[in-house]
Amino acid sequence: MNWRRWLVVFLRVVLGAVFTYAAWSKLRQPWLLFAMAIDAYGVLPEWAVMTLARALPWFELTLGLLLLTGFWLRQSAVAASAVLVVFFAVMLRSYIKGLQIDCACFGFGEAISLKTLLRDGLLVASSVALTVVEFRPASAAKQT
Amino acid sequence: MSRLILLLSCTLAFSGVPSQSSKPAPEIIKSVGVFTAPITIEVFSDFQCPSCKLLYEQTLRPLTSDYVTKGKVYLVHRDFPLPQHAHAREAACYACAAGRIGKYEAACDVLFRRQDAWAADGKVGDAVCSVLSPSEARQVRALVKDPQIVASVDQDVQLGQAAGVRQTPTLVIAYKNQRYPISGAVSYDLLRRFLDQLLTK
Repeated sequence: MNWRRWLVVFLRVVLGAVFTYAAWSKLRQPWLLFAMAIDAYGVLPEWAVMTLARALPWFELTLGLLLLTGFWLRQSAVAASAVLVVFFAVMLRSYIKGLQIDCACFGFGEAISLKTLLRDGLLVASSVALTVVEFRPASAAKQT
Repeated sequence: MSRLILLLSCTLAFSGVPSQSSKPAPEIIKSVGVFTAPITIEVFSDFQCPSCKLLYEQTLRPLTSDYVTKGKVYLVHRDFPLPQHAHAREAACYACAAGRIGKYEAACDVLFRRQDAWAADGKVGDAVCSVLSPSEARQVRALVKDPQIVASVDQDVQLGQAAGVRQTPTLVIAYKNQRYPISGAVSYDLLRRFLDQLLTK
C-alpha cells in the first residue's frame, strides 16, 4: 500500500470517527435540545430548525459509518466537505457577531471559540484533502 | 454492507443518558414558583449580556406566566457576571440587595430594560433605585456593601462553574434527576415544546 492509500485510510477513519461521535453525542439527548442549539445560531426559520434537528444527527451517523467502512467514499468525502464548510461558515459568522452560544458540535456545553473554529477548520482541511486525493487519478499522483 | 449495519447497531447500543444530579436547594430571594414543581430551571445570567436581556424579555416572562405560576416549573435565577462586562457584578449585587427587601423581580426588570444606559454610564445603583421608594433605595444602597451579598454572587458563579457553565445565558433544566443544559437566548416556542415533552413523560 503506497502513501496515497495510507493517507486515504487515515483521513477517512479520523473523519468517520468524528462524524459518528458527533451523531452519538446528539442522539443520546432529546432532539429538542439540539433544536434549541440550532435556533440560537439565528440563521434558520423554525420549521427548518425542527427538520434539521431531527435529520442531521442521522445524516452525520450515516456519513460517519460510510467513511469508516469506505463505502461510496467519493460521495461521502464530498458530502463531508460540504457539511463541514457550512458548519464552519455559520460558526465563524456567530463568532464574528459576538454571539455567546453553544457550538453544539459534540453535545452541549461548549461555547463557540477560537479553539472550536480551529478544530472545525482542521476538519474542513482534512475532508477537502480526502476529496482531492480520491478524485485525483493515481497516474497524476505518480507523476508528481 | 453488513459491516455498516454492525457499526450502526454498536453506535446506538452505546447511546447514553443526560447527566444526572439532584434538585438544587430551595432559594428564597432569587426564585419564582413552587419548590416541589416537577421541573426546575436554573438560569445562569449576566445583567450586562444582551442575549440575557433577550432571554429575560422574550422567554422567561411567558415561561413564568404559563409554567411557573401554574406550579409546573420552579425558576431559579443564578448570577454569572462575565469578566468582560465591567458593571455586571455590581448589577448582580444590586439585584441581590433588592431581593433582600422583596424587590428582586423589579430590580431584574429595570436592569434588563435599561441595560444600554447603565452599561454605558455605569450608574447601576441609580437604575435599580429608580423603581424603589426613597426608603427602599437607602436600604438597598446600604445592603449592596454587605459582604454576604457579594458572597452570594460568588457562590452562584461557583455553582455555574461546577455545572460546566461557560457562557450566558445558560439554562439548566432539571427533571427527574436528569439535567439538560441549554445555552443562548432560547426561543420560547421550542422551550415550551421541550417542557411539554418532559411533563408528558
